[in-house]
Amino acid sequence: MTQSPPAAKEIVLVVEDEPLLRMMAADIVERAGFEVVEATDAEEAVHILETRTDIRIVFTDIDMPGSMNGMRLAAAIRDRWPPIDIIITSGHFRAGELHLPGRSVFFAKPYDSVALTATLQQMAAQRH
Amino acid sequence: MMSDDLIPTPFDAADLDHLRRLEALEAYDILDTAPEPEFDDIVLIASTVCCTPVSLVSLVETDRQWFKARIGFEACETPIAQSVCSHALTMNELLIIPDLTADVRTRDNTLVTEAPHIRFYAGAPLVVPDGTVIGTLCVIDIVPRPQGLDDNQRKVLQALSRQVVALMETRRVSQRKDELFQRQKRLAASIRSSANKTVAAQKAGRIGTFEIDIATSMIRGSDEFCRIFDIAPADLIPTSQLEALIVPEDRHIHSNAATRRDARAATEVEYRIQTANRGIRWISRHASYEHDASGKPITMFGMVQDITTSKREAARVQALLDLGDRLRDLDDVESMALAASDLMAKALDASRAGFGIVDPIAETVMMQPEWRAPGVSSLVGLHHFRDYGSYIDELKAGQTVIVTDVVNDPRTADKAQALIDIGIRVLVNLPIFDHGQFNLVVFVHHDRPHDWTSQEIALVRSFGDRMHLAIARLQAEADQDMLNREIGHRLKNTFAMVQAIASQTLRPIVEQEHVRNFERRLHALSSAHDSLLSQDGDGADIGAVLRRTADTLGVLERIDAIGPAISFGPRSTLSVSLLFHELMTNAIKYGALSEPGGRVVVEWQAVAKGDDSVLTLRWTERGGPPVVEPERSGFGSKLIKRGFMGTGGVTQSYSSLGYSVEMTAALSQLQRAN
Repeated sequence: MTQSPPAAKEIVLVVEDEPLLRMMAADIVERAGFEVVEATDAEEAVHILETRTDIRIVFTDIDMPGSMNGMRLAAAIRDRWPPIDIIITSGHFRAGELHLPGRSVFFAKPYDSVALTATLQQMAAQRH
Repeated sequence: MMSDDLIPTPFDAADLDHLRRLEALEAYDILDTAPEPEFDDIVLIASTVCCTPVSLVSLVETDRQWFKARIGFEACETPIAQSVCSHALTMNELLIIPDLTADVRTRDNTLVTEAPHIRFYAGAPLVVPDGTVIGTLCVIDIVPRPQGLDDNQRKVLQALSRQVVALMETRRVSQRKDELFQRQKRLAASIRSSANKTVAAQKAGRIGTFEIDIATSMIRGSDEFCRIFDIAPADLIPTSQLEALIVPEDRHIHSNAATRRDARAATEVEYRIQTANRGIRWISRHASYEHDASGKPITMFGMVQDITTSKREAARVQALLDLGDRLRDLDDVESMALAASDLMAKALDASRAGFGIVDPIAETVMMQPEWRAPGVSSLVGLHHFRDYGSYIDELKAGQTVIVTDVVNDPRTADKAQALIDIGIRVLVNLPIFDHGQFNLVVFVHHDRPHDWTSQEIALVRSFGDRMHLAIARLQAEADQDMLNREIGHRLKNTFAMVQAIASQTLRPIVEQEHVRNFERRLHALSSAHDSLLSQDGDGADIGAVLRRTADTLGVLERIDAIGPAISFGPRSTLSVSLLFHELMTNAIKYGALSEPGGRVVVEWQAVAKGDDSVLTLRWTERGGPPVVEPERSGFGSKLIKRGFMGTGGVTQSYSSLGYSVEMTAALSQLQRAN
């Protein structure tokens, strides 16, 4: 592993229906050294993933309106875009109650920004 | 009627006489009957011949003497303490007391010391055919008679006493005829089980007596004894015939030829017998041994009583108490059904009990592994309700079904053979509704007719009610749990929003450490809510709060938590969580946890003080750098100084060994709900 920063910033897709929370998540992701793409629900997220190939990490809430929640989104990503790492967050569920897809990490809301930053950076580091 | 606690123990020959007298009186069924001219004539003759103003036919019971016939005496009975006749019971001859004021046995008798001031007594014992004395025919005068009775008077009084017994015998035989006739009539009407119950109730509580010849193992039992064992009256019966009636589980309790031979058999026992027509009965037996000159036991004699009614009563009460306990501890419907059937089987002396999973549409039941009496077959597997009668209709309507005899009940009469083939003569079905759906049935079976009492039917219904209540409670708990989760969810989202707002608001602040501290405190508060919600909102245990806070900060391994389980009220849980959070953050930044080898010991205990208890918690840091009191106090140190309740009770110490603090607070304050 080298200490030099990657040539281009990795791209993280933040999926969160609540604007304030999306704003904060985007903030944390940016401060961690990533570029942010935002989606307000799972459908929009799938649409983005279908149209661009440069997303490396998806950070999604579970409880969102629409036909697909964050858990189903995560399963779809694991199935259709296997290389993407996934971070899941929820205020409703606790870690032990969820069946998480492979290569995914869970954060209970309110999440610890320091730990979240560390996880994002770890995921990025494993790719190089 | 005798009850268990009146039976004297230990048991001696005088008691046996007493019991035989009671049994004989009961057999004659004469106490408290109306006057009859035959008996009135006898007292008239006695008083005339003996020239006394008073003559009585006195029958002596446990606590009174009652007069079947009387002349010259007002009361129809007196307490036993006033009975002179009772002194005549132990002899087979006349008892004559010329002056009652001069005799030690009678001089304090209130009939002597007060009105009517009786002075002379002569009584002839009433000896029934088996030799038992049941009372006297007596004459009484109010002046002393030093000369007593003359020979003729004595002879007449004795002859008349024999006449009294002869009259009673005649009376009994004719009554017996009446009774047999009545019983036959009742049997004809026995389809109505109520009649059966009346007979059973009348027989309960009566005492039978017996004598076992130890050498031959033959038993001589009274008529009531034979009735209790439900066997034909006979003069001598081999004891093996009776021992065969005892249920297998109780055989070790009863005596046998070997244990009687060396007088090893217990003298007071209770056991169950399987009778021919009256199901399982509980027997209480009190016995004594009679020894020969060399001390070898030759006879065992004593009495038996059918105590089924009181045993079942006790079992019913116990079953209801046990059910309450079991249902409170269980949290799924199937375990509850199993517990209920188990307890019902015991209280009702059933042959089989358990529960089945019902499909109300297909009208089938999948019978689960059940409790069975020895020798009873299992019904595990799928059964169709309609194969056994029409009672499924009532079960679906939520009604408890009690079929006291499948042969007679209109709901099962057509299918009685099918039921009998699988060992069901009596059927109890309790429908259990879960979330409004009929999906379980609790059952109790008897493989032979069972004398149902109204109390037993009440017990079954009460079991049904209790089950419904318990299931309603389960549902309420599930609803509460869901509500808690919903509240938890909203709270978490609110915390997340606060965090988001704060991070936006505090964005311009250069020193990110402040923002970071705020976020951590928010997390401490959020995880304290987790503790509360996972405990159904009743507050949280102090150890759990401590560990959860340590876990959030990643220092769980370095904290030694020592103390009893003590729970806090919800409000204190939140503030104590924050307190622990500040103590740990300080330890991580400046104290023992800032160095690799450092540890924190947290000890707490509650000590009673007056009506209340005082909680003392000691936080001791070791293995870190020397510490000194900080000059500036931030939010964290202010919080610590205020202690558990925000009102002090805090002693902090900074030394070269490390930081330590002791906090105290009244437990009642910490445990307040709000």
